[in-house]
Amino acid sequence: MSEINNFADIEVEDLNLWYGSNQALQDINIKIPSKSVTALIGPSGCGKSTFLRCINRMNDLIKVCHIEGRVKIDNKNIYDEDVDVVELRKKVGMVFQKPNPFPMSVFDNIAYGPKIHKVPKKDIKGIVDKTLQDSALYGEVSDRLDSSALDLSGGQQQRLCIARTMAVEPEIILFDEPCSALDPISTNKIEDLILELKKDYTIVIVTHNMQQAARISDYTAFFLMGKIIEFGETNQIFENPKEKRTEDYITGRFG
Amino acid sequence: MFHRRLKEKGIEIGLFLAAATTVVVLLFICIFLFRDGYLLFETSSFTGFITGSSWYTASTPPRFGILPLLFGSFLVTAGAIAIAVPLGLAAAIYISELASPKIADLLKPFIEILAGIPSVVYGFFGLVVLVPLIKDIFDIPTGQTALTGSIMLAMMALPTIISISEDAINAVPLALKEGSLALGSTQWQTIYKVTLPAALSGISAAVILGVGRAIGETMTVLMVTGNMAIIPGFPEGFLDPVRTMTATIALEMGEVPKGSPHFHALFAVGSVLFITTFIINMVADRIKRKYKLKEGL
Repeated sequence: MSEINNFADIEVEDLNLWYGSNQALQDINIKIPSKSVTALIGPSGCGKSTFLRCINRMNDLIKVCHIEGRVKIDNKNIYDEDVDVVELRKKVGMVFQKPNPFPMSVFDNIAYGPKIHKVPKKDIKGIVDKTLQDSALYGEVSDRLDSSALDLSGGQQQRLCIARTMAVEPEIILFDEPCSALDPISTNKIEDLILELKKDYTIVIVTHNMQQAARISDYTAFFLMGKIIEFGETNQIFENPKEKRTEDYITGRFG
Repeated sequence: MFHRRLKEKGIEIGLFLAAATTVVVLLFICIFLFRDGYLLFETSSFTGFITGSSWYTASTPPRFGILPLLFGSFLVTAGAIAIAVPLGLAAAIYISELASPKIADLLKPFIEILAGIPSVVYGFFGLVVLVPLIKDIFDIPTGQTALTGSIMLAMMALPTIISISEDAINAVPLALKEGSLALGSTQWQTIYKVTLPAALSGISAAVILGVGRAIGETMTVLMVTGNMAIIPGFPEGFLDPVRTMTATIALEMGEVPKGSPHFHALFAVGSVLFITTFIINMVADRIKRKYKLKEGL
């Protein structure tokens, strides 16, 4: 496995995960570089989404899930006893596969995060405006801030979900196949947004779309049956994979 | 070929008639209820019935004012809802969001059993246990009060409110809850800011159906509310005996001569009760349907 000598935001050491007696992740070791896009690729059921959900402890919701090993963010193991999951998830945002805006207005969707984190009321309007601008959604929805978020198109909903995540000012944003439910034009817009976001955030994205991984990521990790087979710069992984299995997957020989 | 088609048609008609029976029954109930109720107004005035504040069936001339009964029903029902909604909602949230599956599986059969107890048994329990208790706690001459009826009705409405609210809360997509948690909100913030608002229409339907159950209930209230036909005060009326519309019909129907003004007055009360519950059920149905549409999104 290649070493990447960039400042790492997320360091994963000997991570193992079981769902009941079924091991879903095996000896995961990876250093995910800061302020860049890291893509996780691999066939369905290879553990990449499971791994992603380890980074913001979303797997805590699954009662039969058991985790060993360390996931360090800013040199602190997030599975330590004294870690506040609420603070962690504030720092590590997540965008889901299917757009999941809350059934409230566009404005309230973005204001939701700042409100629960006790941002003073007078600052909220400013945050919402800025976030909408940063997520390139402002022009499309500025006159509809008070209408229901459910009335937006799927692509707009997904960008709203990204904006909602940005509004709590995380350091890291996790994307779990964010474009799999979207049309190509919406997908394009989200990809552009992700490229823009990596200036300020560390981004980890799970994707089934090889071209997408090639287009937007700086680093790529290839997962297979709960293990990381290969991790490196995206160019190298796609053009000159060291592992035969990586090459087979990328060229479409299986998966 | 011809015979087979005839047979098919015959089966279809048979099934249609079976289904039509319910409609016919409802139609007949309406016709007889409203007709016999309407006949009251041949001997006394409609406004006297709707706005009359006394129900004196033995005076001459008898006075059939529905207000004491109407307010009696409303007071007992309002009290029941005030008790049952917070309790039922809390139980539904606990069962669907917080309890481990083991505890939820343990609790649910109990709630179902609660729904299956005959109302006369509730009434008996209320009479023997709750009535003396209310009398002692508030130090009043009788424990048969509107409050007693409210508490009993709350217990009876709870299963409806819990199970329908629980369904509504369970129907909120996991993705919404995850979206909220991923933003760093606590479980409780997620429940009351995202899950409950998303389930609100289902919960409203649960509450309204609970109201419908409470307002139509007869046996239990008859046994524990004292049955005094006076307009209750508010809120002190909770500690006075009251008489509901249902209890009035059940108490007096057996002793009135058929066709007398009193007889028709009871049918008129029944008509009011019928219309009230009909409206309540319609509103609940409307809300439920709207909520199903939303779920489709």
